[in-house]
Amino acid sequence: MNSTQRPRLHFANPALIAVVVLLAAYGSLMVRSAVSGMSVGDALFKRHLLGLGVGLVPLIVAWALDYRRFRGWAAPLMIGGCALILSPLVPGLGASAKGAQLWLEVGGMRLFQPSEPGKLIFIVALAAYISAHKGRFDSASDVLKVLGFAAFPFMLVVVVGDLGTGLVFAAITLGMLLIGGLPGRWFLALALVGVLGVGTLFGLNSVLNRALERGPYDPAYIAAKQSGSESALAEVEDTSVLIKRYQLNRLIVFIDPSGDPTGAGYNLEQSKIAIGSGELTGKGLNEGTQSNLNFLPERHTDFIFSVLGEELGFMGALVLLGLYFFLLLTALEIAASARDLFGTLIAVGVIAMWTFQILENVGMTIGLMPITGIPLPFMSFGSSFMVTNLAATGMLLSVWARRYV
Amino acid sequence: MPTFRQRMKPRIAILGGIVMTVLLVLLIRLWSMQVVNGATYAAQAESNRVRTITTIAPRGRILDRNGKPLVTNRATLAVVVQPSVRDDDELLTRLSNLLSVPLPELMERVNSVKEAALAPRVVAIDVPLETVAYLSEHESEFPGVEVQTRAIREYPQGKLAAHVLGYTGEISDSELAEAEFSDYDPTDIVGKAGAERAFESVLQGDRGVKLMEVNASGEAQRVIKETDPEPGRDVVLTLDIEVQKITEKALQDALREAHKQKFTKAKGSSAVVLDVKSGEVLAMASTPTYDPSVFLGGISNKEWRSLTSTSSEFPLTNRAIMGQYPAASTFKAFIGMAGLQEGITRQWATYRCAGYWTEMGDQWGKWCWKHSGHGIESLMDGIADSCDVVFYEIGYKFYKIKGEPLQASLRSWGFGKPLGIELPGEASGRVPDAAWKKAFNENYPEYQQWLPGDTVNMSIGQGDLLVTPLQIGSTYAGIANNGKVMQPHVLRKVLGSDGSTVIGPTKKVVHTADVSKRNVDIMDSALRGVTTQGTAGRVFRGFPIAVSGKTGTAQIAGKDDFAWFVAYAPASDPKYCVVVAVEQGGHGGSVAAPATREILSVLFDQKVEYVTAEDNSR
Repeated sequence: MNSTQRPRLHFANPALIAVVVLLAAYGSLMVRSAVSGMSVGDALFKRHLLGLGVGLVPLIVAWALDYRRFRGWAAPLMIGGCALILSPLVPGLGASAKGAQLWLEVGGMRLFQPSEPGKLIFIVALAAYISAHKGRFDSASDVLKVLGFAAFPFMLVVVVGDLGTGLVFAAITLGMLLIGGLPGRWFLALALVGVLGVGTLFGLNSVLNRALERGPYDPAYIAAKQSGSESALAEVEDTSVLIKRYQLNRLIVFIDPSGDPTGAGYNLEQSKIAIGSGELTGKGLNEGTQSNLNFLPERHTDFIFSVLGEELGFMGALVLLGLYFFLLLTALEIAASARDLFGTLIAVGVIAMWTFQILENVGMTIGLMPITGIPLPFMSFGSSFMVTNLAATGMLLSVWARRYV
Repeated sequence: MPTFRQRMKPRIAILGGIVMTVLLVLLIRLWSMQVVNGATYAAQAESNRVRTITTIAPRGRILDRNGKPLVTNRATLAVVVQPSVRDDDELLTRLSNLLSVPLPELMERVNSVKEAALAPRVVAIDVPLETVAYLSEHESEFPGVEVQTRAIREYPQGKLAAHVLGYTGEISDSELAEAEFSDYDPTDIVGKAGAERAFESVLQGDRGVKLMEVNASGEAQRVIKETDPEPGRDVVLTLDIEVQKITEKALQDALREAHKQKFTKAKGSSAVVLDVKSGEVLAMASTPTYDPSVFLGGISNKEWRSLTSTSSEFPLTNRAIMGQYPAASTFKAFIGMAGLQEGITRQWATYRCAGYWTEMGDQWGKWCWKHSGHGIESLMDGIADSCDVVFYEIGYKFYKIKGEPLQASLRSWGFGKPLGIELPGEASGRVPDAAWKKAFNENYPEYQQWLPGDTVNMSIGQGDLLVTPLQIGSTYAGIANNGKVMQPHVLRKVLGSDGSTVIGPTKKVVHTADVSKRNVDIMDSALRGVTTQGTAGRVFRGFPIAVSGKTGTAQIAGKDDFAWFVAYAPASDPKYCVVVAVEQGGHGGSVAAPATREILSVLFDQKVEYVTAEDNSR
């Protein structure tokens, strides 16, 4: 290919930039509406915009950096990423949310959720590892090696207590292995292992809880339960070994949300009511009763889509899914036009991450997926998350910009 | 060898397929929720945000004819228990100690089946403030127990006129199903008996409704719509508290007198005081009576049983309108007038009473109550002395006439049908005839034929004839009113919110008897004779007001005689009509007539004295 044939703005992808700008604008609109009734609403909205602004920096840096420089960095990146994921466990550095160590905190100031940039580092590291194999997995040992490599951070995220992010890691891995050339029969095997693994996880959790007198076997928990007092029960710390009680509850209510309409099933029930009641055209911005009267929990973060569904209706949801369609289509085009497997894999990792997050987040608000704390790309409030998504956009642009050289 | 990008294409296409599938699945699900089932979710969202708060409208008061309150309202602190804790014996034991309500009674109230399944049960009303304070301080120790302010009925006159006033209670499931109660709520308090039931539609106000928008914590955000409660209307009855009081006292005196005369089974009795010209009920009493306040806050099963069991003599029954007895000799007035009208007797026709009457054949001989015989009697004497033979003769003549003219005459007075007083449960009584007897004995062919004895027995107010005390009162008022029977009624007027009259007094002729004025006048003067020289002569000796009346002593198989007396006064221009009936009380002249005199004394501002007299007549 001749360099004189290259378009003048070959390093930029106007379609990707346009759809990201539109998504960020749409997201800001919905966050604005979601926080409008809150006492700290204005401050939250400012923080959202700040996240957008701050995110431009990693976007430009990632875009400017030649991704190929990281080709040989698979191991160091993985080690660094794992260290980052574990950092909140270091005393004095961590803060917890919902019983899981999720935040990096220094001197009482919350910085960011390390699992967020962790995802991108993981994508680059896994892309580097797989591309080193040139897209071929000839022997079982090759496959086991790459799986072992990918499973390591996955385990760490689960240990930290962020099962949702663990699932994102799994989705990224599967997407990249698909493109990276893992034979189809291995996917079947992986599915089997996955089912067995989940079963083992639950079984092990139960066995360990019983052996160590933790979780539902914790004497404090049993005493609280026998007292019959709801508040006492809520105060007992959940000491379950592997799967926390709230995670188990979310799974239970996913199967039968009406079984517990005021407890764990409440969020799901209210979210479905919000979205359904939006009908075709919605109740109008700021007019959502479910959202403004606090029936919707975490409406500006995990349940932002419920606000959108209620206030803008099916038409609004259609526009959003349309934007996502173009975003992913553009990203697929970038993956297809990358000049090497490493670039393709990076793009595919980002696609897998976004696709899974869209499926999981929108899916949980409408009862298709169990509830996890996974936000909606470019829409949910949350600066760590926004910065990550913008950085991922920068990585796509970096791959796109170097498709000819 | 394909280039790198060519090799990637199919794999990326698979990924693209996955992406498309994901978006499509979400879209289809959203279409189903938002477009197909949107309306259902919209309704759920609406019920999430809107709370309906109903304010109970105060029930209208019930006043006597002079505006004195008979039933009013007051607020009370009630302890209510959610049915969900009904099996928590330990909790209920503690509650029982705190409220000083015996545990079995408390359990009974909590498990009451008279209330809607999920409605909280009232276990105590008029709870002292210390107890309320204790309960609110120890809320967590009494889950499912609450203190609520409830408006309840108050009875300033106690048990007075309980049968006319009736009582209130929570609406029952079967009532809710009726058209009249179509806009009622399952916890509404409604009239269950008497005037409370009869005038339910005006006593019951309209609930106030407030639609509030609430947030997820249930905190009110704003009022969407509000309508104020419309209080129920005050109802003014025709009752007069003073007349009612003496009427109830007179029944007690009559029962005491009956007991003194060894009629120890006398318990049930009733009396009615009517305004002759208008049909207004000035007093209506029935014994045994009950206390309407036991129904407040829900009656316990034990209390309910004590009011409805066989041994209780059914205190809830208003015998004045529900009791059906043989009219006995009080009926002779109507037989006499029917005979005069039909031409089979005359005022001064002569009859011969030998004490035993064998006109229908020796084997069908019948006694006069006076076995020694009255000798020669006119129709006038027959009424005054209550001679049975005179009326056997008239009855036997009636039997021989085709077409049952006697029954037709009796029905023209209104016998055999309810008079249509507003109070619920009025009995119809019975005027037997050949068709009735045939139908009644459907399965006993040998008893189906109408016999001479049937007409003859009816002619002394016995046999299969049944009347209510109200029927006797109203028809005697009808005699005093020249054959016009006024509809008896207890409603004088309904007051508007400003005290004005919204529904005024009613006055209606319900039956015009098939009898000439001349013949009514003959009977009127004959009835005057009863209290001057006849069976009630001794009781009314010295009574300054001229009284017309009739004694009656009904025979009922297996029971002591029932005592009747009915009278109207003043005889010249009748104003009031009084009827007294005492079940198993003995003779009308000695038990019912003195009670009637007592009531008439108050009606005419005379000194009240209880007179005793002997009477063996029927």
